[in-house]
Amino acid sequence: MITKTDVEQIARLACIKLHEEDMQAFTIQFNAILEYFEELEAIEAELTEQEERNVLRADEVTPSLTQEDALANAPRVESGYFRGPRIL
Amino acid sequence: MSHREHIEELLDAIGRSELNAFITVDYEGARRQAEEADAGELDGRLAGIAVAIKDAISTKGLRTTCASKMLEHYVPPYDAFVVKKLREEGAVIIGKTNMDEFSMGTSTETSFIGPCKNPWDLERVPGGSSGGSAAAVAAHEADLALGSDTGGSIRCPASFCGVVGLKPTYGRVSRNGLVSYGNSMEQIGPIARTVETCAALFEVIAGYDPWDSTSRDAPVPHYVSRLADEITGLEVGVPQDFFGEGVDPVVENATWEAIAVLESLGVHAKETSMPNLKYALSAYYIQAMSEASSNLARYSGIIYGTRVQKDHDWHTTFSENRASGFGKEVKRRILLGTYALSAGYYDKYYLKARKARALISRDFQRAFKQFDALIAPTMPFTAFKIGEKTEDPLSLYKVDINTVPINLANVPSLSIPCGRKGHLPIGMQIIGDQFNEQLLFNIGFQFEQNTNNKHAV
Repeated sequence: MITKTDVEQIARLACIKLHEEDMQAFTIQFNAILEYFEELEAIEAELTEQEERNVLRADEVTPSLTQEDALANAPRVESGYFRGPRIL
Repeated sequence: MSHREHIEELLDAIGRSELNAFITVDYEGARRQAEEADAGELDGRLAGIAVAIKDAISTKGLRTTCASKMLEHYVPPYDAFVVKKLREEGAVIIGKTNMDEFSMGTSTETSFIGPCKNPWDLERVPGGSSGGSAAAVAAHEADLALGSDTGGSIRCPASFCGVVGLKPTYGRVSRNGLVSYGNSMEQIGPIARTVETCAALFEVIAGYDPWDSTSRDAPVPHYVSRLADEITGLEVGVPQDFFGEGVDPVVENATWEAIAVLESLGVHAKETSMPNLKYALSAYYIQAMSEASSNLARYSGIIYGTRVQKDHDWHTTFSENRASGFGKEVKRRILLGTYALSAGYYDKYYLKARKARALISRDFQRAFKQFDALIAPTMPFTAFKIGEKTEDPLSLYKVDINTVPINLANVPSLSIPCGRKGHLPIGMQIIGDQFNEQLLFNIGFQFEQNTNNKHAV
């Protein structure tokens, strides 16, 4: 059973501000969904070797995005940099 | 007819359409590419053919929104691998299709531009998440389309719209340039009105790409040239687990009738069971949500995306940007994924889901020791009404019961029309072992040649 306070805490972790009405609806919905997921508790399998394998390409320098292209979609730009929010 | 005239007809059809199948139409680019094809400047296997692209796939210089307010103004600085391939073969990129926001859905109702409609019945959903792609192909607003399939997002709309759609083997098609949702399960794939054109498009987009670390370096067969290969003597399994509670008897009958057609062509069909499929829905959703919570962490409104706040601390700024840019279903999945991965719950949810996935994969491996292919209904029922399932997320998740096991097992599945309930199309899926797409096309092609299921509106 998760509570509205739990949902608030998860939302804080996920960096998503929730409105009161969403928080209430999500609490009810999440409980129903998580209860459904509990069917997996019966599973007692061993995981063998990894199914997916990452294959790395050769570490060769190739052209990448230009500074102009990289900044083109940024909402705020200053002197050729992304302008972020303040840290402190 | 010239390529330009053909493209003009399609652009007219899009302009008149009530379907809402496109988020962005590239009128200028499509006309220019068609003229280049007429002038002989474009050649290749798809010269002058209009391909619609799901709006989750990056197109250089052409807005790619993922049906999200978050990316409303995002213009990719590069082409996805598959789009480069299309351009190399002379295809005309006609536009970007409507979808569920960030590919999270089964109905194409969560798009920020509003729902897409089913061309067979405007009150019904086209399926999702690649609903716009399937609707556009079915309604002759495009010749071919690309979708992406994380848990059924190509096969579901193909089934609901009466067209052909392939979820390829994981690793067969590069994901480079595809906006990630559940990256361990998703593949880009073709949607077409016939098996032959579906195979032709697949032949172009398949192949190794060093820019996708999960792409497999294996040669791409000439699927089309071997399309009419014999299917006599093939062993096909029919797992009873795909015919569980909730499957419409009309859909069940249509699937069995299709199997009878294949038997008349010399295929041997036999019932079988895959006991771990009962865990598929939970395993899929836990894993997809967990991956989504990580993949969508990049949307903070700084490097790209919606930004609403100016002078707050970073946590407030990110949280406000994400609150404003994401729709409800995206928030639900990010939050549930965050929860499933959080300390104290990882073993209970994510690890159990991984184990369930391994069991399901082993069920498929066992089945393909005995059978060449498996056959099942793609969807438990035909297209439902717009708004019918929006209030209860779990009821909408359950719609994916027959499509998600395929993604968990990394195997390919081809959905083709196999009948009708009233005016609404029914689809069946032909599932094969990894990298055995050729066999799926062969079975689908023979079925198509020996039946009469109209593929388009």
